[in-house]
Amino acid sequence: MELFIEVVVTGIMLGGVYALVALGWTLIYKCSGVLNLAMGELTLIGAYTCLQFYTWGIPFVLSIIFTLIIGFILGILPERIFLDRLIGEPVLTVIMVTVGLSFFFKGLVETLWGTDTRVFSPPVFSLEPYRLFGWLVIGKVYLWSFLAAMILLVLFVAFFQFTKWGLSMQATADDEMAALSLGISARFVYAAAWSIAFMAAGVGGTLLGNINGINISVSHLGLLVLPAVVLGGLNSVPGAIVGGLIIGVLQNLSGAYLDQYFPGGVKEIAPFVFMVIILLFKPYGLWGWERIERV
Amino acid sequence: MQAYLPCGVYHQQYSEDHAWWQTKFVWGKMILLGVLLFVVFPWFGGYYLGIMNSIGYTIMGALGVQLLIGFCGQITLGHAAFIAVGAYTSALMLLHIPESQAFWAVFLTKSGLLYPVSIVAAGIVGGLWSVLFGLPSAKVKGFYLIMTTMAAQFITVDFVITQYVAQIGGRGQAFSLPPGTIKIGPWEIDSDVKVYFLMVTLVILMTMAVANLMRSKTGRAWIAIRDNDIAAEAMGINIILYKLKAFFVAGFIAGVAGAFWISNLSAVSPEHFTWFWSLWLVGVILIGGFGSIHGTIFGSLFMVLVMELLQVIVGVLTPWFPSLSMNFLFLKESLFGLSICVFLIFEPNGLSYRWWQIKNYFNLWPFSY
Repeated sequence: MELFIEVVVTGIMLGGVYALVALGWTLIYKCSGVLNLAMGELTLIGAYTCLQFYTWGIPFVLSIIFTLIIGFILGILPERIFLDRLIGEPVLTVIMVTVGLSFFFKGLVETLWGTDTRVFSPPVFSLEPYRLFGWLVIGKVYLWSFLAAMILLVLFVAFFQFTKWGLSMQATADDEMAALSLGISARFVYAAAWSIAFMAAGVGGTLLGNINGINISVSHLGLLVLPAVVLGGLNSVPGAIVGGLIIGVLQNLSGAYLDQYFPGGVKEIAPFVFMVIILLFKPYGLWGWERIERV
Repeated sequence: MQAYLPCGVYHQQYSEDHAWWQTKFVWGKMILLGVLLFVVFPWFGGYYLGIMNSIGYTIMGALGVQLLIGFCGQITLGHAAFIAVGAYTSALMLLHIPESQAFWAVFLTKSGLLYPVSIVAAGIVGGLWSVLFGLPSAKVKGFYLIMTTMAAQFITVDFVITQYVAQIGGRGQAFSLPPGTIKIGPWEIDSDVKVYFLMVTLVILMTMAVANLMRSKTGRAWIAIRDNDIAAEAMGINIILYKLKAFFVAGFIAGVAGAFWISNLSAVSPEHFTWFWSLWLVGVILIGGFGSIHGTIFGSLFMVLVMELLQVIVGVLTPWFPSLSMNFLFLKESLFGLSICVFLIFEPNGLSYRWWQIKNYFNLWPFSY
């Protein structure tokens, strides 16, 4: 029982990071209709940027803020250069452009930083775990990552609910034509969505890099996000958050309990298996919009 | 896209209209191509044959992707998984059947039919595996289908094959096939030239099969589903059946491609079938052009040759930039990504569209209106 609770709690903590990245993904989809497969590489770039700042001796919190700024700039660039021209193109075209971008970024990261695993040194969070109620053991890294992810999630959600820019993004997501006629600049909204997604992904990558060390496999996070958004429904922000948490928990549970029956990489594969099952039985996720199609 | 007929050529019979090669000139071109493929190219050295073999492998892989994406509209990002299934099926048959003492096993081994049979078996297993992951296409499409095919890639290659299939027989992850196991009849496929002939035969057979399929009822149903699946259903096409058929045929082609590839490498390992390879195949048909068999071939030629050229350039530049050869793999990835983006933005119809334009320019000359 203690193992179960521990696994679930760690899963929720990890799921917090997934939720953050999933939020960025959903945002891009909601606002601009782009299905982004480059999310993993965005996390990768974020993680390496933050690491670079940290190794230059800048305090961790400051380097996260710098990462956010760089993520903001880098988010606008691909949107302006590539995706802006593809509005209205078929789904596959847009997806393949994001795949192309992901390869471009990946090659760039590998050329700049190499493929060896790097760690934050000195470690940002001490390895000493917290003990809650005397028996529940949680790694410091997990707890703080979760808290950081939650703070950012709250910030982003507040941005959508209460600022003018956030509201204009919501309006565009809801009905682009109506938003345009009210004087909202769709191009601004697209750029904002991409830069926020980039920021979220960068911080997500940094947090995950603190847990496992940073190498190319951090970009796997970008793929893990997909089960989360599929579970939550593609165009639902709360869905992305809940989906991220659930996928984190499911992943950890299957790692703890199924590994003895199917040795090997169950933990890495489990989210995708869940995804296929969800797609078979509830293709629009928990809160996704069900499209009614006509000829 | 059918090319226009040259000026002054008229058809009087339907059989002329249906013919594959409609004019004497086209016959001449095809015979020339045959001579090039079967007589001239084999004289080239091992290096060029190696490149041609990888072009052929890319064509075979991309043909299945073209069939699914370009003709049936079912987007797949996990095709390498089906190639891997074929390769492993064939490799396991080649390794295990000769050990058996059963009558049929001895017969297959002795007569040299084992490899051809294993190619067909690889196709069938690959096709069935592909149908399994095509099942969600009955319910979902577009992005959701992309997700399931992606899941197919990770579940198949990273989990089932790496953890279980590759462990059969306790050889470790990578199988290597001892010399003499890959035989077709009396011929042992052991040199580049023989692999080349096998490749050319398979590519021609597959291209003909797919091209003919596209002229049949099945092919037209696929195109209808691609263009508008709801309208297709309203027209009385059983879209689930036809989608699954498309998955089966694409998986079959992928399986055969995988079975071919082990003859080239004499080895098989999960690392040959990464997600990158799946995306690469989709990139090939994007650059070549959607919904065109020409496009598959042009795309494969373009991608393999450009990468080969890049390798040569890197080789030349290495004395000045020593880090370049180390970073070649990364450079290749970056360039691949960038070329996909650029092609999609500036040449969304792919190379085959340009080919079509050029051909029509000459066919219609001098009255091009």
